[in-house]
Amino acid sequence: MDPEPLWLTLRLATLTTLILFVIALPMAYWLAYSRFKGRSVVEAIIGMPLVLPPSVLGFYLLLAFSPSRAFGQWLESTLGLRLVFSFPGLVVASIIYSLPFMIYPLQAGLQSLPASLREASYTLGKSAWTTFFKVLLPNSKSAILTALVLTFAHTVGEFGVVLMIGGNIPGVTKVASVAIYNEVEALNYDAANQYALVLFVVTFLILSIIYTINNRLLRVRHPA
Amino acid sequence: MSDTPLDISIRHSLSTAQGVISMEVALAVKPGEILALTGPSGAGKTTLLRIVAGLIQPQSGLVRYGSEVWTDTTGQVLRAPQRRPVGFVFQDYALFPHLTVRQNLAFALDRGQDEGIVDELLRAVELTELAGQKPAQLSGGQQQRVALARALVRKPQVLLLDEPMAALDRSMRYRMQDLLLDLHWQYRFMMILVTHDLAEIFRLADRVARLEDGRIAQVGSPGEIYTHNQDLSEEPLLYGEVLSVEVADDQLVVLALIQQQVRRLRLPQALAPQLTPGRSFLLRYSLETPMIELID
Amino acid sequence: MKYIALLVIVLTGLGGCTEPNKKVVVATAANVQYVMQELKEEFEKESDTEVEMVVSSSGKLTAQIREGAPFDVFVSADTQYPNEIHKNGGSDVAPRVYARGTLVLWTLDSTAIDLSINRLADKSIRKVALANPRTAPYGEAAVQAMEKAGIYEQVKDKLVYGESIAQTSQYIASGAADAGFTAMSVVLSPEMKGKGHWVKVDSSAYQPIEQAAVLLRHSEDSFKAQPSRDFFEFLFSGKAKAIFRKYGYSVE
Repeated sequence: MDPEPLWLTLRLATLTTLILFVIALPMAYWLAYSRFKGRSVVEAIIGMPLVLPPSVLGFYLLLAFSPSRAFGQWLESTLGLRLVFSFPGLVVASIIYSLPFMIYPLQAGLQSLPASLREASYTLGKSAWTTFFKVLLPNSKSAILTALVLTFAHTVGEFGVVLMIGGNIPGVTKVASVAIYNEVEALNYDAANQYALVLFVVTFLILSIIYTINNRLLRVRHPA
Repeated sequence: MSDTPLDISIRHSLSTAQGVISMEVALAVKPGEILALTGPSGAGKTTLLRIVAGLIQPQSGLVRYGSEVWTDTTGQVLRAPQRRPVGFVFQDYALFPHLTVRQNLAFALDRGQDEGIVDELLRAVELTELAGQKPAQLSGGQQQRVALARALVRKPQVLLLDEPMAALDRSMRYRMQDLLLDLHWQYRFMMILVTHDLAEIFRLADRVARLEDGRIAQVGSPGEIYTHNQDLSEEPLLYGEVLSVEVADDQLVVLALIQQQVRRLRLPQALAPQLTPGRSFLLRYSLETPMIELID
Repeated sequence: MKYIALLVIVLTGLGGCTEPNKKVVVATAANVQYVMQELKEEFEKESDTEVEMVVSSSGKLTAQIREGAPFDVFVSADTQYPNEIHKNGGSDVAPRVYARGTLVLWTLDSTAIDLSINRLADKSIRKVALANPRTAPYGEAAVQAMEKAGIYEQVKDKLVYGESIAQTSQYIASGAADAGFTAMSVVLSPEMKGKGHWVKVDSSAYQPIEQAAVLLRHSEDSFKAQPSRDFFEFLFSGKAKAIFRKYGYSVE
């Protein structure tokens, strides 16, 4: 078994999760507190990756990223970036694909905090920015953890989109899920099982550790 | 600054459990005054506090503190809550669960402000020893004191309290009221508190404003509002609460809490149906017969 | 009560699914689906048997057949998968080659009139698509052709792999890859005809892409035994050969 696809999966999932966290924080904040009328439309758009089959989403991303089309052409001419068949392309696609898995838990976490926490901070002279980072986020640890875990796990398990826009290049876009698929296609079930087992064990361990931490956090906040 | 009055004159529509009511409140709070806001739930008491704090923008109207305009809907002025010299004690205390008591207070410090105030206030509310605890480890009364101390860190000129003692037992409430009076005397802020508790109103408030359906139904001193006899007699009034009632020698022996002390009153037996434990009354001293007046 | 009614509906619905299919079910490799469509229509015209096609990749179909999928005939895009099935007892008769595929080099850029394998080494071509050589014979043939032309090492880092000929063709047709190898049947299909520019790859540059079909055991015990055999035989008839040729396959 070649360990490279597993490393690639790990890198992709980690990078996607980190970048998405930074992108999702302000969006979740806005969705949680804005009274803007078009909010539901934005929420629905963010949820679309939940509805679209991954291969369909992958197909549209393939078209969008293709250098023969407007967006892909623009990327290539201005940024020198070709997203199709590249690792950065996978990261961008994973970010789009996993968007709801990061934003929804963060938004729900913020909305579940009592409004008085935010208002208390305001009446104590603190800006919205300080309030967000010093009050709201530290009290949303559980939601943050859920968002990070869901995004990471969802990216690890991502297949349809990667297969569509990745091009299966070893060491670049051939992640573990695609490697498993290849082995199954080649009727090489032993190798497929090995990849799947490693993926299963690693993911299981990561999730167990994180949920143990989470339960400890909850106990601190609500002592018996 | 304790000579600055607060003028409120607003209209706002308020959705309550009973439907939408339109608030229309004009109120002038005197410098250094302690004003109690009371009335049935849904009357707009909390909303009024939040408008003063700048947490809500009224649909129209004006909030002015001395010459400073805080809210003016015609001039499109809405000074942010951060920039109003206001302290707010929330009904649920709104303590930051992830910070210790000391950190909760220190959080409120303005940039460059002397940190000595934190210790001073911790001492004032007798929480120095619990300064390292998290709010979840404290009792209701302790949390309440933290909330109060935290609201005072910035030395507000107006302190707003939303049913601050609703969750406390009687003895704790008395101690808190004492503490509030002490702090008020020491820092000389204007104070507006929402409360349903008559004992609290009588002990703390200079004036009480009764809100009903978004309008001020009555304003006046507690005595004026709660004694139906509105004459301006100079007889001293004592507020009391019935603790227990017994019949002995054709008389009612009533144990009552008056001025924080348990007193025994001997009263005519005819009062028996009304004087039940938990009721409040006013004791009016006069040179003639002392009079008992029951209040709702 | 409501739930019981619902359950009954679901169960009767499922019951309907297990009713034996009267049609001949043909497991069809995705890259022969266009030509198979025409063969199916032709066959249905001359016999009164209906044919149902199940289209997927040869690898998936093979896995499904091994697990007892109710297919009567398997038309693969290579010989390896039918042989695998035969070896595992999924069929009593040896697979037979029905056609040979033709490899083409294809680009969306219609100005590239001098398209040739050697051009793939050019800087202007950044990504070259081919089917996964491990699983798809067209991919394997493409690698052989590049090796024969002596440019494989130079092109190696430009290669992107489709999981099937269909996906490879999508890479090329969408312009995501600058050029790529696919089956001639694809560029001649009604959907792709006239798109971009393609050239045949010299057939001596790669091993023949033999495509085989196999009559599956599933058909034998059923009342569909005869129609299934009829359809299988039809694949090797003169009429079928003409159709295969029309789609760019070579037949004996």
